[in-house]
Order: sequence, then structure tokens, then C-alpha cells
Amino acid sequence: MTIKEKLKKLLVEELNLEDMTPEEILDDAPLFGEGLGLDSLDAVELVVLVQKHFGVEIKDMDEGRPALQSVASLAAFIEEKLAK
Amino acid sequence: MSKPEGEEQKGAWSSRSIGSGWQHRIFYLLIRLGGRRAAYLLLYFVVLYYVLLRPDQRRKSEYYLRRRFPGDGPMGRLAKSYRMSLQLGKVLVDRAVVGILGPEEVTVDLGGQEELLSLLGEGKGLVLMTAHVGCWQVAMSALGFLSVPVSLLMQREEGDLDRHYFEHAGLDSPYRIIDPRGFLGGTMEMLGVLKKGEVLSVMGDRMLGDDHNGVAVTFLGSPILIPYSAFKLASATGAPIAVLLSWKSGPRSYRLKLFRVIRVAPDLGRRAEAFAPYAQEFSAVLEEFTRDHPFQFFNFYDMWQTSPPRAGAGSAPNTKGA
Repeated sequence: MTIKEKLKKLLVEELNLEDMTPEEILDDAPLFGEGLGLDSLDAVELVVLVQKHFGVEIKDMDEGRPALQSVASLAAFIEEKLAK
Repeated sequence: MSKPEGEEQKGAWSSRSIGSGWQHRIFYLLIRLGGRRAAYLLLYFVVLYYVLLRPDQRRKSEYYLRRRFPGDGPMGRLAKSYRMSLQLGKVLVDRAVVGILGPEEVTVDLGGQEELLSLLGEGKGLVLMTAHVGCWQVAMSALGFLSVPVSLLMQREEGDLDRHYFEHAGLDSPYRIIDPRGFLGGTMEMLGVLKKGEVLSVMGDRMLGDDHNGVAVTFLGSPILIPYSAFKLASATGAPIAVLLSWKSGPRSYRLKLFRVIRVAPDLGRRAEAFAPYAQEFSAVLEEFTRDHPFQFFNFYDMWQTSPPRAGAGSAPNTKGA
């Protein structure tokens, strides 16, 4: 399972995205607002999930802002951190 | 078509300062010329005017007073409205006095200093939860002993005329301000503060801006909505929450007390209800405060006019730090 696939699965299962399957989540769909409809507190949950499941810490807004745009950007961030 | 209840509530509340700029400047001038007493003297009459002749303003205090003193008749409420408004006025004057004449004009007695240092020493950051009671700026000004940066979640509105004490003195803000209208409501900034082991100060008793993350708790006998973002952040980071409230204890003195430490369990998930017991702990502290200092509770709007909580969440007014 790729990081993107795992992220999509986590989003559906852990953040309770109703009426959505992992396959239906587009790589570039915005995570917040109009896209997947996550809110600001979901961002906190997402940061915790990423740390728990990938061992990658999003330390602050400088890192979080570009990473938390979409599944694709978050997966790229995780891959980059894991490669170091 | 009528507005949704939450929207009506937002419309009913304005954080803008009472009085115009020149009226504020008269008080500042009096402080410079005659000190605190001169400003207090004018204040007695100004508050009397608002309480007697401006029922729209008086009503703002009555939402709370009817709950806190349910046995009072109209005259009793009128007298208490005067006392409550006068206390707020004195706090605002004191804040200006500190900025204009210097911090030595007010003494601050802080209880719980050692415990706060111990909590910070846990290395998980510290959430300082305060409320619109007493003078929260006093709390902020007394945190220098913590020796770490303090960030404050605060929203200022256009039209706010009140100045903070450091603005009167022409100083930079002693704390970093996180704007809840920023990226993701400022949550990533707040998370970053705690991850660095620093102090995050939040007002726990009002919803800010467009925050819809409220949870219902019982306060003075009926439900109100309070934000649970701070509880969620504490759960995610393991940071303890220190409930720190201040009150005016004398003409020139304030007391600051660590009322309670709230520890939020990890992995509580997304549901607002999971945070309700912790939010209720905070509400219990507020009730305790209103028992001891009934006229230093400064939420001048109908806190109890809440939309029915949807799965523990709901809307609340657009507010800021007083």
C-alpha cells in the first residue's frame, strides 16, 4: 500500500469521512473547506495520525501549511521526511 | 426568512467598545492629570448614565445577573447591573493606568507560581486557560517568571477602541498573538507553540470568530457553548491545562489564582462529546469564580442563547478578548 493509499484509508476510517471511500478521494482534492470538508480541529487530529502511523512529526505551521493542502502534498511531505 | 439561531446570536453581539474615541481619550487625559481617582470619579457618572438611561446596554449585564441572582427583582438587578458595569469600568481604567503611569501603580499577587513552573517543566507545553473575568491582561503581564514565550489566541475587531496596557506605554506586545481567523483557525500555530514546550493562552469562555467547535456545558443551571479546541490540543500534545483567573482585590491590587489543572486524556477522537467532561470542569471553575466575585464576570451577552448542540457542537457569537 502506498503512502497516499494509506492516508486515504486513515482519512476515511479515523476522521469518519461519511459517504466516502478511500478510492473516491482525489489526490489533489483540498483537505479542508470545499474539498474533503475537514475543519481546523481535524487538522490537529491529522497531525496526530501522521505522527502515530508514519512516525513523522509536523512541527509547526511552516511545515504544516504546505503539507496539509491535499493527500498528494501530505504524502510528498511524509515521503520526504522518511527519506531523510 | 428568519436567520438561523446562531446567526441571530452573532448579530446580537458586538465586541466593539462602548463610547467613541474622544470619550476614551477623556479618561486617558484624566489619568494623566489626576491619576486613577480622577478617572474613577468620572466613571461613576458614566456608568450611571449607561445603566439608567441606556436599557440596551443594561440588558447586556442582565443575561448573566438573572442567572446568578434569580431571586432579584428589577431594582435589585438595576443595582447589580451598576456594580457589575462599574467593576468592568474600573478594570479598564486600571489597565490604562498601568500603561500610562507604569506597572507600579498596580500590584499583582500570583498564587500557584511553583505549580505553574512544575507544569511547564513537564516539557509538553502549557495551556493557560483564562476567561473574561477580572483583568486577564493582568494575568498575562504576570507571566514573565515562566521564562518561555507566551502566545495568546486573540481576535481584535475593527472598531475596538480600548487599548492594551502595553499599547498605552508604546511598548511591543509582551506576547505573540495568534489570530483565529488565520490558516486553519490558528490551530497549527497553537499546536506548534505546545510542541515547542511554550505557553499557549486561550480564553475558554467564548467562541471566537467563525469557530463552530463548541461543546455544551452547564453553567449557572443551563447549557452554554464553550470552545473545545484547547481541550483537543491538550489531548493531542499531552499539555496540561492550567485554569488561571484574576480578580480585582483592592483599589490598587489584583489577585491571580491557579484554580485548577485539567489533564485531558489522549486519543479522544473527533467527537465533541468526548471533550465535554473537561469543558464542564472549566465551567465549574467559572461558577466557583462567580460565587466569590459575582461582579467581575464580564460576559455581556446572552451566553445561554445557544443553538441546540448538534452532536455536541454548535455556533456562538463573534467575540474577542474584552
